[in-house]
Parts: sequence; structure tokens; C-alpha cells
Amino acid sequence: MTDDREATSDETLCRRIAARDDAAFDVLVARYQARAYRLAWSLLRDVEDARDASQEAFIRIWEAAERFRGDARFSTWFYRILVNVCLDHKRRGRWWTRLVSRDTDREGDESLVERQPAPGPDPGDHASEAQTMARLWTAVHQLSAQQRAAVILYAQEHLSTAEIADVLKVAEPTVRVHLHRAVAALRKELAP
Amino acid sequence: MTAERRDDLTDAERDLLARVVAAAPPPPEPRWGEYRAELRARLDARRSIGSRLRRWWARPASIALSFAVATALLLFTLHPVERRPDFAALDEAMLGARLDLLEHYHLVERLDLLENFEVIRRLDDVVSREG
Repeated sequence: MTDDREATSDETLCRRIAARDDAAFDVLVARYQARAYRLAWSLLRDVEDARDASQEAFIRIWEAAERFRGDARFSTWFYRILVNVCLDHKRRGRWWTRLVSRDTDREGDESLVERQPAPGPDPGDHASEAQTMARLWTAVHQLSAQQRAAVILYAQEHLSTAEIADVLKVAEPTVRVHLHRAVAALRKELAP
Repeated sequence: MTAERRDDLTDAERDLLARVVAAAPPPPEPRWGEYRAELRARLDARRSIGSRLRRWWARPASIALSFAVATALLLFTLHPVERRPDFAALDEAMLGARLDLLEHYHLVERLDLLENFEVIRRLDDVVSREG
């Protein structure tokens, strides 16, 4: 049992990928595809970009597998590659796609606030919890790229601040500052 | 919450972040079979480009050619060809300025000759004597 788990641990699969084992690569992709795609989508908010960035991260894993030293967990290393690809993607931008609007992207880019039903006629009505959260989620996307990545890695992927620091290649106190600023921005959004 | 999550956040703040992220709309799910096929195609393309490049680089002639081109480019960048003055063009310009003299060259030649014989300087005397 332990041997089976060892045989299919991420780190073992990575070593096999370094030896150019296609089957190990397929297992790793199947294991991480949903997480990678979801994280890329959370950072990029675009279906095509998320697909492209997450696939690019897998290709880089294939190319760089022999450089994985095993000092950190494989997942941390993978997140680092993926987040870097996403941040690069965001920096470069895709100006030509912005010129041509796509239906799918329009749906993906539309903020949740815009998708909420119009508020009722009574001005005294409080926004529902869902609406408030949607507004806050939109606020998360107005944070800087690194702050947003820190929030998503923390709250969505449940990484520790040390792991986030490792992924973002910043000091751990910087991650804490990112999280504090994010919370401050959200509190400001919540204020009446 | 694990002990290693040293984040200085209060429980309420952690809860806020968790609720915000949980409220995020789920991403439109791709068809995973297609996703993996596309990834496999991209990987194969990258591998074939990589292997072609490696094969190309493995040839001594390719390496020599690359270094030669790189050296030529480097030399050209560091030592651009000096721009020397165009003497032919200068000569032409000077000749152009003296075009009148050239047109009456035979006269100039004679005047030079007469000057040598000091005829021009004594021209007044010659005229008065004749007069």
C-alpha cells in the first residue's frame, strides 16, 4: 500500500517525467488539470487564457522536470510555475483579443454584480449576502496581481504563507502584508 | 487552519477571505479529454522543435556558421564602416564654381602668358605711346 502511494506520489511522477515517461506525465496532468485550470482562471478571468496558461505550465513541467530538486513539495513548485505563467500572461496582455470580443469571454469577464438581478424598488432593501460577496470578489480582482495571487493561493488553494512566499518568490512578511492589504480593501468595500 | 499559516489575520478576516473566494463563480469547465489532447499536441510540437534545434546545433558546420554570423554582426555593430569625405564630389563642386573660367580657358591662358611678359602691367604706357 505504502509502496503504491510512493510509486504514484507527485515527486515520484516528476522523477519519472524527468526520465521522459509519457505515462507519468499523463497521470500528473490528470491529477492537477482541474486545480491548475481553476487557479489560472481565478487569476486571469478568461477561459481561453486559463486553458492556455495551465497547459503551458504542464509543458514547462515536462521541460524542467529534471531540475525539480525535491526541496519543496511538488505542488508548491507547480504552483510557482503556473502563477509565473499567469502573471507573465497578464503582463503581456493579449491586445488583439481585446479588439475582438468573444461571446464566451464576455460571459466570463462579466462581473457577478452585473449578473445579479436588479435591486428591488425599495431603496431600503439590503443587498443579499450573495450580492455582497460578488461585490467583494470583484474587489479582489482590483487588487494588484501579486496581492490577488496571494489571496487566491491562501483562501482557495489553502497554502501556508511560507508556501505562498515560495510560490511568489517574495519574503513571508510580504505575503502577510499582501493579505492585510487585501482584507483592508475588502473591508473598505463593505463599509456603507 | 494549520499552525504553519502564520498570517496575523483574525478569525473574522480569515473567514471573510474564505467566504469571498467561495462565492467566486466556478470557471466554465472544459472538456478534459479535449484539453489533454490539445496539451499533448502542444507538447509534441514543442518536443519536435526542441529536437530539431538540438540536432541542428549538434552539427559542427552549424555551430561554425552561427559563430561566423554572430561575429560578423558583432564586428559590424562595434566598428561601423568609417564615413570618409567624398573627394570626387568635392572636386566636382569646385569645378562647378569655376565653370566660367573653364569656358574661356583659352583667354585665361593668354592673359597668364601676357602677365609673364609684363605686358599687362605696362599696357597704359603702350596705349599712351601709341596715342
